[in-house]
Amino acid sequence: MPQPVAIATLLAASGLTPVKPESPNAERITDVFWFITFFVIVIFFVVAVPLAVFIVRYRNKGRPRHEEGPQIIGNTNLEIAWTAAPVIILVLIAGFTLYKLPGMSLEASNELEVQVVGRQFYWQYRYPNGAIAINKLVAPADRVVKLRITAPDYDVIHSYWVPALFGKMDAIPGRTNEVEFKGTRVGTYKGQCVEFCGLQHAAMKNEIQVIPAEQFDTWVSEQASAQASGQSDLGEQVFEGVCATCHGDQGQGFIGPALTSATVSSAQSVEQIIREGRNKMPPVGRDWSEEQAEALTGYLRQRFGQGSQAGG
Amino acid sequence: MASRAETPVYPVPWYQGRVASWVATVDHKRIGILYILTSLIFFLAGGILALLIRTQLIATNVDIFSRDTYNELFTMHGTTMVFLVVVPIFAGFANFFVPLMIGARDVAFPRLNALSYWLFLLGGVILYSSWFAQGGAAKAGWTAYPPLSAETVGNGQDLWIVGLHVLSLSSLAGAINFLATIHNMRTAGMTWMRLPLFVWTIEIYAALLVLVLPALSAGLTMLLLDRQGWTHFFLPGDGGDPLLYQHVFWFFGHPEVYVMILPAMGIISEVLPVFARKPIFGYKAVAFSTVAIGFYSLLVWAHHMFAVGLGWGLDIWFMVASMIIAVPTGVKIFNWLATTWRGNLIFETPMLFSLGFIAVFTIGGLSGIYVAAFPFDWQVHDTYFVVAHFHYVLFGGSVFGIFAALYYWWPKMFGRYLNDKLGKWHFWLTFIGFNLAFFPQHFLGLMGMPRRIYTYTDSSWEVYNLLSTLGSYVMGVGMLVFIANVIWARRRSPRAVNDPWLGDTLEWFTTSPPPPHNFDKVPYVTSSRPLRDLRRRLAGERV
Repeated sequence: MPQPVAIATLLAASGLTPVKPESPNAERITDVFWFITFFVIVIFFVVAVPLAVFIVRYRNKGRPRHEEGPQIIGNTNLEIAWTAAPVIILVLIAGFTLYKLPGMSLEASNELEVQVVGRQFYWQYRYPNGAIAINKLVAPADRVVKLRITAPDYDVIHSYWVPALFGKMDAIPGRTNEVEFKGTRVGTYKGQCVEFCGLQHAAMKNEIQVIPAEQFDTWVSEQASAQASGQSDLGEQVFEGVCATCHGDQGQGFIGPALTSATVSSAQSVEQIIREGRNKMPPVGRDWSEEQAEALTGYLRQRFGQGSQAGG
Repeated sequence: MASRAETPVYPVPWYQGRVASWVATVDHKRIGILYILTSLIFFLAGGILALLIRTQLIATNVDIFSRDTYNELFTMHGTTMVFLVVVPIFAGFANFFVPLMIGARDVAFPRLNALSYWLFLLGGVILYSSWFAQGGAAKAGWTAYPPLSAETVGNGQDLWIVGLHVLSLSSLAGAINFLATIHNMRTAGMTWMRLPLFVWTIEIYAALLVLVLPALSAGLTMLLLDRQGWTHFFLPGDGGDPLLYQHVFWFFGHPEVYVMILPAMGIISEVLPVFARKPIFGYKAVAFSTVAIGFYSLLVWAHHMFAVGLGWGLDIWFMVASMIIAVPTGVKIFNWLATTWRGNLIFETPMLFSLGFIAVFTIGGLSGIYVAAFPFDWQVHDTYFVVAHFHYVLFGGSVFGIFAALYYWWPKMFGRYLNDKLGKWHFWLTFIGFNLAFFPQHFLGLMGMPRRIYTYTDSSWEVYNLLSTLGSYVMGVGMLVFIANVIWARRRSPRAVNDPWLGDTLEWFTTSPPPPHNFDKVPYVTSSRPLRDLRRRLAGERV
């Protein structure tokens, strides 16, 4: 029993097959992959074997150029056959895809609806109880999670994807798209933005951590209350997910300038910059709540401000 | 006092000078050569951009180019290869060979033809001048999706739009010219069912360009107005819709893919019979499948948009339409295969590239089935799987076809042969390098590597990226061999005879290179292989 599982894991890890699915809908996509792959391999050999055989068998072998092969101009039956065979194969593939399709949209009465907003260059999530998270989404196992994916009007198109859990869905300004998943195994699954969105497209990463459902309920309500009282790690999350992408992990400067006590000293100017953008910096915090902006400015002051340990 | 024997010296008019004669020419063959050489220079430029891209991706966290520069590299690479290489080089081959193959004196509108070349050059210069624009070249990808392309600062994007406008005018003028030529100027006896298959593909190439270029122009105009005017066609904040652009762009963009592959298929359909010493298997099936592919290509555009949330109804329609195209494509592949059956296969360079085309294009077609099945496309869309797929089609297809054509027709165009030994080096380096560069990219896509990222941190992606980069270098060496071959052909090659391959079509009836008026007289055409008929008649056989 462990043998085939090990082989499947190895195939997926080496990219020969899609990333191992951990959600029923992703599993159905992988089923479509295998169904198509079967026919693709068959068709490949149906073309490649005759090609190779003819190349060897009918090679010139010193015959003069004017020596012609038999002047066969076609064969209606053969041509009908190789028109009909692909039609049958494609009907099978389309049919199998449509057969698998309904289960790719998951529905449940207790589904958890999370809002996902794509921004240059981070993902912001909002849970039903108002808790906010950046880039890393925590989700309950064995429960349908519906993602409502969008981007603000003033941003650009992004695309949200975690290969192990669901197919990608674009985050388009002015539209809201939905995609669902149901994590069947506890673990952390990675993804990144898959629609070119500008300067730091390559750094726009996301992950989904699936945890046991009962732990999730406690976790999410703790997050909400901590954020409401200003005692949460939201400031740190925002720094790591939003600021560090361009200003460096330690705020040492990268594409954007280093964060120093001088730059973070005035909470007002920091807030103005994050809300309006400056030079190459997009207005990352244009529609953040006061709490979220304060969480960040507070964190920056504490970390980089005068008298802080890591400052400068 | 001058003796009678002295040759009188007539002043050469300015327009017959060494350079001026090329600038002022309205001869379809010279314009064809200008097209082909200009496209090859842009091919070199686009190829260098590709090597820079691959170098940046050779390993994790490489930092050779800045992010902005990398984004410019892949934007300009894609734009160059589509608009400045593949489409115009086919216009070049069509210019040179369509009139010759149908036994015509020139194209229908020679001066419009010259205009179309000079617009092409102008468009290319505008596009490449954008490297020096404020803010650098365009960097929103060759698809230039708004809002990103509408909001990019600097003028590179504007020059990109203007350049594409000029290029689409050029293509439109050329396409109208080809249609008028093919419809009206076929020689006596050349019915539609005796038309060379390359000419068939140029007919559909031109018809598609006429149908879809206006859509591109409309989309680009709206984008330019959104950027520089006060409109908001694509800007949602003011009521516009970014998806409108994608529909307009791909209504042009997908037929454009067939514009880039059909003439290559036409070339293969010319080369294979000549080097297999057999007629094409199923002429009508190959000709009509070209028409069918052209027609269905107009109905599949939104398969580029499966991840935007179209809804399953539209997804299903575009999946089915996309799969339908695979049928006429498959018909062509099997007909080509059957053409080689029991032939006297001569493995000279044009044939090697044609057989290579069948091998790699089949892989590109098969990976197309995966991306047509939209739920699976949700998995691989915008990843390296798609990059691999379209390079198998556009390099393994179009570019292999282009090289087959260059080796096949070089003696006719320039009166000199390309060297076959160097040609074989060129082919094998390209074939091996190509597969090494692009096959591993399928796996990268399945592992989740998105396209258009300037670097990656996941070390499990490193091996395939390294292989891919090495493969691109091998291809680069192959291209150097081709350049050496061109120099060899210019310096060392013997004079070409009129009909070196014992061809089937009328271009081999005239001299190599042909005189300005093409033919003194054209034989009456009684089949799709007039030259073979003529050879047999001369040998006293019954035709």
